[in-house]
Amino acid sequence: MTEEVIAPHAVERLKGLRSQGSHEGIFTSDLSVNEFVMVRKAEFEPLGLVVGSCIYHMGIQYGSWNQNMEMDVLSQAMYQARELAMSRMEQEAIILQADGVVGVRLEVKRMDWDQDILEFMAIGTAIAHRSGAPGFKGVGGKPFTSDLSGQDFWMLLEAGYRPMEMVMGSCVYHVAHQGVLRSMGNIGRNTELEQFTQAMYDARELAMERMQQEAADAQADGITGVQLHEGSHNWKPHVIEFFAVGTAVKAMEDADTRVDALRPQLVLPVND
Amino acid sequence: MSLWDKIQKGLHEVTEDLEKTVANVANQVGAVNVAPSAAAQQRAAEWQMALQQRRLPSFVQERLRATAAGQRPWIQSGPVAALLMERSHGIHPLGMVGGNCWYHFGFSWTQGHYDGWHQAIDRLRLEAVAMGANAVLNVDMRVRHGEGEDMDYALMGTAVRIQDLPPAWEPAVATVSSLEFVRLLEEGVVPVGIAIGAEYDWYQPWGGTMLNQANQAAPFAARYWNMEIPDLSSFQENVRRRALYNLREDGRKLGAGVLAHTQYSQMFRVNNEQGEGFLCRHIAIGTAVSYEPSRAPQHELLPTVSLGGPLRSFRPHRKDLL
Repeated sequence: MTEEVIAPHAVERLKGLRSQGSHEGIFTSDLSVNEFVMVRKAEFEPLGLVVGSCIYHMGIQYGSWNQNMEMDVLSQAMYQARELAMSRMEQEAIILQADGVVGVRLEVKRMDWDQDILEFMAIGTAIAHRSGAPGFKGVGGKPFTSDLSGQDFWMLLEAGYRPMEMVMGSCVYHVAHQGVLRSMGNIGRNTELEQFTQAMYDARELAMERMQQEAADAQADGITGVQLHEGSHNWKPHVIEFFAVGTAVKAMEDADTRVDALRPQLVLPVND
Repeated sequence: MSLWDKIQKGLHEVTEDLEKTVANVANQVGAVNVAPSAAAQQRAAEWQMALQQRRLPSFVQERLRATAAGQRPWIQSGPVAALLMERSHGIHPLGMVGGNCWYHFGFSWTQGHYDGWHQAIDRLRLEAVAMGANAVLNVDMRVRHGEGEDMDYALMGTAVRIQDLPPAWEPAVATVSSLEFVRLLEEGVVPVGIAIGAEYDWYQPWGGTMLNQANQAAPFAARYWNMEIPDLSSFQENVRRRALYNLREDGRKLGAGVLAHTQYSQMFRVNNEQGEGFLCRHIAIGTAVSYEPSRAPQHELLPTVSLGGPLRSFRPHRKDLL
């Protein structure tokens, strides 16, 4: 009975036979088991984990105390360092002859010994189409990059889109302090602090704008799975980074027919 | 805790609470005086012998054999629903098997992880083989921290026999439960083991890092500059790449690809006689999966939208919003 349900290869392995000596199917990846199955469902095979590092010394910039302003030195540093880590990861994917990289994570860490040194890491799984079908490469024939999970990647292809490039925008912003007179004037009043509102608005807008511009440069149709991170990498309390990141996607030729064929069903689970 | 710390702690205790310390000391002395029973002594000797000879003590072997033969109750960890798999896929639970290795890091914490886990996996397999299992499922990985430079690597899982298959010489070791195991088998994927990739290295820049060199060239200006520290970047990148290469090689020994669920990297700066030095290490741990790349998954997939679970979890804590 067992042998009818389970694939012959699996049965062999459970009998204790190894597929040693074969170079097929030996890869590394940080996908979860479900993601791995879904990437394979999408007719792709994982090739290997690819990484890129960048250790970066951040320049120093002082924001003027009572002024909303972008800290452009820091914005540039955050962007450039991420870009360097990403491009090194991409290089490795090119060597593996990958069609693209999925599940990319971009991590920033501060070094213990120097608060001006930040470590950037990009890590993801390089994948290639099982039968080598063309038309999945990203911008300029390079492998595409994407922070989508295996499940999202499958869903994206089913919906008729292909990933082009992971796009990002960064903005480090100094939020002005309130003057003493101003805060005295607000005692006992419910009022909006317009200056602060405006700072948040502007910083977010700048990050989004930059991300969108990058996607436009990659000739993408849209950006999916966007996340907006706010962080302060051990900077002064009024300095904050807005970081927008997402996957730029482009419609495939048969996108409309694919989408029409999709009929998602609503289910109501009763077990929880 | 170093020896010095222990002495200091002891002295502290004496001054703090003399009476309690006396009782404590008396207890410990008392414990030494009670000799272990002959049976316990024999048991300890058997364990020692078995560990040295890389086999199981006879009483463990006997219990496992009796359990596998159905003379003792079977044991199963993981979800109760996994019992359904007995009917549908002929997966019979045999019993819990385990293995551990308490390891002291003489020269390398990084290498210790590799050796410790492998030793524990080998011991787990030994017990599984003694039960005539085909696979060990629901394997739980756990570490315990010692007081100094030591750590225990422990594994525990359920050994299963698959109907109509002969016992395996090298049972598959899987961290997933039998429900997921079956789902993977039907897709032609077998989780076969645990793979580890670890690497550490030192870097001692002779003229200082590129950042130090820039600081020397432009003493006051350089700290205002944005600049990459390329030598550190490439040092770290190489450590990571070698660790991942080792992970792949470890997978190759099992004839399998690796899904790395755990990755950890760290970098330190150390000041020594030669000046500034850097230590970087990276450890990756993953599930090894064996499959045939040319064979596409067979099952139909149906996209559904669940009304029960969250679509994309927006569930902030109350304190984040209030």
